[in-house]
Amino acid sequence: MNNHQTRNRICYTVFLLIILLVGYFLENLYYIQVLTFIGINTLLALALNMLMGYAGQISLGHAAFYGIGAYGTAILTVHYGFSPWLALPAAILSAMIVAYIVGIPTLKLSGYYLGMGTLGFGMIVNILFREWSSVTGGASGFIGIPALELGPISFASGRNYFFLVWGFVLIGFIACQRIIDSRIGRALRAIHDGENAAAAVGVDTRQLKLQIFVLSAAISALAGFLYAHLVYFISPGSFSFIASIRMVTMVVIGGMASIWGALLGASLLTLLPEWLHAFSEFEMVVYGLILMVVMIFLPRGLTRGLLDIYERTRKKNEH
Amino acid sequence: MSTELPLLKIETVDKAFGGIQALSDITFALNPGSITGLIGPNGAGKTTLFNLISGVFPADKGEIIFNGAGIENIKSHQLVELGIARTFQNVELFESMTVLENILVGQHTRTRCGIWGSILRFPGVIAEEKKAREFALELLDFVGLKGHADKTSGDLPFGWQRLLEIARALASRPKLLLLDEPAAGLNIVETMQLGDLIRKIRNQGITVLLVEHDMSLTMEISDWIVVLDQGKKIAQGSPRTVQADEAVIAAYLGTAGKKE
Repeated sequence: MNNHQTRNRICYTVFLLIILLVGYFLENLYYIQVLTFIGINTLLALALNMLMGYAGQISLGHAAFYGIGAYGTAILTVHYGFSPWLALPAAILSAMIVAYIVGIPTLKLSGYYLGMGTLGFGMIVNILFREWSSVTGGASGFIGIPALELGPISFASGRNYFFLVWGFVLIGFIACQRIIDSRIGRALRAIHDGENAAAAVGVDTRQLKLQIFVLSAAISALAGFLYAHLVYFISPGSFSFIASIRMVTMVVIGGMASIWGALLGASLLTLLPEWLHAFSEFEMVVYGLILMVVMIFLPRGLTRGLLDIYERTRKKNEH
Repeated sequence: MSTELPLLKIETVDKAFGGIQALSDITFALNPGSITGLIGPNGAGKTTLFNLISGVFPADKGEIIFNGAGIENIKSHQLVELGIARTFQNVELFESMTVLENILVGQHTRTRCGIWGSILRFPGVIAEEKKAREFALELLDFVGLKGHADKTSGDLPFGWQRLLEIARALASRPKLLLLDEPAAGLNIVETMQLGDLIRKIRNQGITVLLVEHDMSLTMEISDWIVVLDQGKKIAQGSPRTVQADEAVIAAYLGTAGKKE
């Protein structure tokens, strides 16, 4: 336990140092931008990993919450002249309320049915973004989302935005790690291992799943907020069914029930398309192939898979 | 002591599944601080009764009164809070979690920390966690698994898994402990140790209801025996009187009894 905590503390300190070093010394602004996107995707993967990896509940509609965060801040700042810093809690709260209302009936389902339920929810929200043109700008998108500013600091420059996003990632990691190591996290993992047994030891499984669903929606909405103010322009396509599937893929590829898995999964799925431009029209084929190979050879995800390989080579070297 | 109110009272309980009457007109009571054995041949309705008490499904008719209050409409997780804990016939541990963590989950209803508490780690949360760990280690010692706290529970040998499941149930500080065939799959030595453990639990003032196939264990440790056959209660009494009961012998050995 103490070992575990010390190791975590070291990990997060090193993580913070890496963020600072990369942020200050990486010259190429294009890379800074790509890394910022990785940060946003990491938040998304973290959000879904809490729900899928730890509580064992699938969601195929999580892009809806990502979209509510993005559209929420866009509508409030552009149409109503809110400061983005006020729009942030408002957007997160909206996502949480929607998650709560949708979660009550949906989380009674399990397995495939929960997948279908959340899939339907995601599609409805996406249609809303697309068709409610007077508010959302419809299919052509929402233009003119303001840049973030905090007093004298402008986040229009890529470097400051990088620090903002990765600051949130670090806070998100520590918060989620603490939840997982707590009474709540143990109850979540208990639900994953056996829902009946969890209820039999006194865990209110329905309420706890709902809480985590709401938490997961809140983190996704935060990612949506950061995305909207990074690119200034959002359109329904970024929050479609495909986006939900990408989130699930990041979690599975990175490794379920692993905080660092969120980082690995998000990195791979953000970087692959960048690297694969060279294949031009075969890009998607190679992309799919790589994901297949990872899943075949590292079925428990990159984190566990790489750890296993490390253990094996170390043992081999000892002999 | 035995004249005080019963801890659990089952009154004229019926339960049917489709056309099959699993239980009909069952009535009995558990005295506080006693071990009661619930026995009967396969299909007698023991597990059904067990599931009724632990809130898995409701009774069709009749009352189940725990500690003076009806519990027919209370969900499983709330029963734990009231003081009823159970184990499973097939051992249902949280297999990916450590031995210690399993017992900590067992304390879920006796601890309070929520999502915000866990993120912000208030002093109260840290103190609660520390106390919970101390109690968990005590329980490990109590069931004889001292020193195995950090093992993954799914990797334990089967006999130890049973002990751990009992420790996890005790972690909720129950008044009533329901044990569903705790000796199933254990060898003779393990069964004897289990008998000692159940007595030790009773000596802590916890009432035990035991569903068991192992006759020698049940007869040896129970203060009171209730016998079911085909959904009906056919006998109850001390182990000695039940063993001598004709209806019980008939139910077990299948001699031509007066069933009608």
